[in-house]
Amino acid sequence: MFGYYISLALRSIRGTPILSALMIAAIAVGVGAAMTTLTLNHMMSQNPLDRKDSVLYAVQLDGWDPNEAYDSNNQMPWQLTYKDAQALLRSDIPTHQIAMHRTGFTVEKDNSDLRPFTADTRATTRDFFTLFDVPFIYGGTWNADADKSPVQQVVLSKETNDKLFDGENSVGKSISLNGEPFTVVGVIDHWNPVPKVYDLNNGPFNDSEELYIPFGLHRRFEMYSWGNTNGWKNDDSEGYEGFLQSENIWIQYWVQLDTAEQVEQYRDFLTGYIRQQKEQGRFERPLKFGLSHPSEWLVLNEALRDDNRVLGWLSLAFLLVCVVNAVALLLAKFLRKAPEAGVRRALGASRNAVFTQHLIESACIGITGGLFGILLAILGLQSVKHLAMGYIDQLAYMDWQMVLAAIGLAILASLLAGAYPAWRISRTNPSIYLKTQ
Amino acid sequence: MLKMHNIRKSYRTDTIETHALRDFSLEVAEGEFVSVTGPSGSGKTTFLNIAGLLETSTGGQYLLDGEDVSGLNDRDRSRLRNEKIGFIFQGFNLIPDLNLFDNIDVPLRYRGFNAKERRKRIEKVLEQVGLAARAKHLPAQLSGGQQQRVAIARALAGEPRFLLADEPTGNLDSLMARQVMELLEFINEWGTTIVMVTHDPDLARRAHRNIQIVDGQVSDMRNANSVAEAATA
Ligand SMILES: Nc1ncnc2c1ncn2[C@@H]1O[C@H](COP(=O)(O)OP(=O)(O)OP(=O)(O)O)[C@@H](O)[C@H]1O
Ligand SMILES: [Mg+2]
Repeated sequence: MFGYYISLALRSIRGTPILSALMIAAIAVGVGAAMTTLTLNHMMSQNPLDRKDSVLYAVQLDGWDPNEAYDSNNQMPWQLTYKDAQALLRSDIPTHQIAMHRTGFTVEKDNSDLRPFTADTRATTRDFFTLFDVPFIYGGTWNADADKSPVQQVVLSKETNDKLFDGENSVGKSISLNGEPFTVVGVIDHWNPVPKVYDLNNGPFNDSEELYIPFGLHRRFEMYSWGNTNGWKNDDSEGYEGFLQSENIWIQYWVQLDTAEQVEQYRDFLTGYIRQQKEQGRFERPLKFGLSHPSEWLVLNEALRDDNRVLGWLSLAFLLVCVVNAVALLLAKFLRKAPEAGVRRALGASRNAVFTQHLIESACIGITGGLFGILLAILGLQSVKHLAMGYIDQLAYMDWQMVLAAIGLAILASLLAGAYPAWRISRTNPSIYLKTQ
Repeated sequence: MLKMHNIRKSYRTDTIETHALRDFSLEVAEGEFVSVTGPSGSGKTTFLNIAGLLETSTGGQYLLDGEDVSGLNDRDRSRLRNEKIGFIFQGFNLIPDLNLFDNIDVPLRYRGFNAKERRKRIEKVLEQVGLAARAKHLPAQLSGGQQQRVAIARALAGEPRFLLADEPTGNLDSLMARQVMELLEFINEWGTTIVMVTHDPDLARRAHRNIQIVDGQVSDMRNANSVAEAATA
C-alpha cells in the first residue's frame, strides 16, 4: 500500500508542477535559512574539549585597576600578566599547566624556492600538547628547559609540514624563523578545535596556529602578542623588559587538575600567591581568582552570543512562516482534489487510508523541499564564509549531525505542513462530493 | 440482504434542521433488483448513502447481510463497503487523471489483492463491459455511456454482492441508457442484488420491484408494473 501511495503522490505532484514547485520552494527556503543559522550556532556552541572538560581549568587572577573592575562577565581579566604567568609556572601542583600567547614569525626554508611567509605562531610551554591531547605525527614536544631558556626548537602543524616538507618526517630538519635557525622537533596532526577554546579572546573562530615555539624565547625574540594586550597602569619602566614586568595582560593560562585534592591545593596556592603579592603592593582589589572548565569558559566568553541565539529563533520563525504558506497551498490543492477522495471513500478507502495517502504526498513534497533546503544551506554557509573572509571558516560547514538535523527538520516541517490538510480531507463527508461532478 | 428499520437521518445546519429520512423501513432480498423513484429532495440519495455505509444514520437499525452495522467504526465500515458494496453514480465519478485500468484498480488496492489478481479481475470486468481495448485511455477520451460502463466495471471488480446505483442513466441519452440498463440486468441475473434510483419510469418498471420515497419515507410498495401510471400521473 505504501508503494501505491508513493506512486499516487508522485503522479499528483507531477500533475500540478507549478503549485508543487511553489510548495517545495517554500519549504526549501525555510529549511535552508534555518539550517544556515542553526549550523553556525551549533558549531559555535560546541565544546571541543568536552572529553577533558572536568579536569581542565582556565586560570584568571584579579590584579586589575583598584578603582575599576575589569569589563568582563565575571569582572576579572581574561588574561594574565607575564610575571604572574611565570610565578604560577613555578607551582608543581597541576598535572599539566601552560602559559601561552599567539604571535607570528616569518618562515623561510634554506635551499628551496618556497617564498618566505608569515605564520601564525603560538609561544607556549611544552605541556600544551599533553594538556589539550594534541596528536603528534612525528616527534614530540621540546624539553622542559626550553620553557625557561632560549632553545630554538619548533613544532609544526600538519599543514605547515605539508607546505615545507611535503608531509615527510621533518624531525631534525632546520627552518628559519625571523632569520634565525630553528630545529623541528615534532609535527602534530590536523588539530583545529572550534571554537578555539584555548584562546577565545583573540579570534574565537580563527584556525589553530601553524607553528608552536617554546615559552623561553621571549627575551631572545622580544615577542609581543598577536592578539589583545590590555593594561590599566601607566608604567614608567622602559623597553621590552619593562613590558614583561608591566601590569599588561596578554598571556593565557591553563591547568590540568585531576583530583579534588589538587583543586583544593591549587586554590590554596593561588590564594597564597595573591596574598603575598598584596603585601608587595599589587592586587589591590578584593582577593579573587577564577578557575573555569572549558564548558564554563565558553559560556563566560559568550562564544555563542545572544544575538546569534536570537537569529536562530528568528530563522525558526521564518521556517514556520514558510510552513504555514505550504499548509495553505497544500490545503488548496487537497480540497480541489476532494471529489477524488470522495470516490476513494466510496470504493472502500477508510479515513485513515485517505489521511495516509495525503500525508505521504505532503512528506514527498517536504523531503524534496528539505533536500533543496540542505543545498541552499550549503550555499548559504558558503556565502557566509565568503562574507566573513575567513573569520569563521571553521564554522561554516555542516557536520553529519547537522545534515541529519536538516533532514529531520524538513520531514518535520512537511509533516506539520501536511498533517492538517490531510486531516481535513480525510474528515470531509464523501457524499457531498459524489452528487455531481 | 438489506434490512432497515425506522432509520432516521437529519442534517443540521446553523439555521435549519432537515429530516432527509424519517422512520424509513425497507427490506431487500438477496438477488433482487429494486428501483427507487420519488420526487427531488425526497431522500433517495440519502437512503443510498446510508445503505452503502457512506453516511451514518441518526437513528434506527440497519442490518446488512444480517450484521448490525450501526455501531461499526470507520475502518470496519470501509472494509464492508469495499468488500460487499459497489457504487455507481449519475456523474460517473471516474478519477480524471487515472486511466481506465488504474480507475478499476482503486477498490482492488484497498482490498489488498496482489498485482496478479488485480490484473486478472480488471481485464475480466473490462471485457464484460466491452472496453478491453481501451484500458490505457483516460476517462475524458470516452463517451458518457462508455464512462458509465467503466464505472460499472469498477463497481463490479471486487465482486460485490450489492450494487447501489444513483440515477446511473441520468446523464445519458436513451440509447446509451438502455445499454447501461441491459448491463445492470445482466449483472443482476448473475446474482448481484441491485438497488437503483431513477427518474425514468420505463427503467423503473423493468426492475423486479419499485419503491417510492416521498418526504423521507417509503410511501408505497407495489410491483413494478403499476409504476408507470404512478410516475406519469
Ligand atoms: N449534506 C447535506 N446537508 C444538508 N442537507 C442535506 C444534505 N444532503 C441532503 N440534504 C437534504 O436532504 C434532503 C434529501 O436529499 P437527497 O439528496 O437524499 O434527495 P434526493 O431524493 O436524492 O433528490 P434528487 O432526486 O434531487 O437527487 C433534501 O432536502 C436535501 O436538501
Ligand atoms: Mg439524489
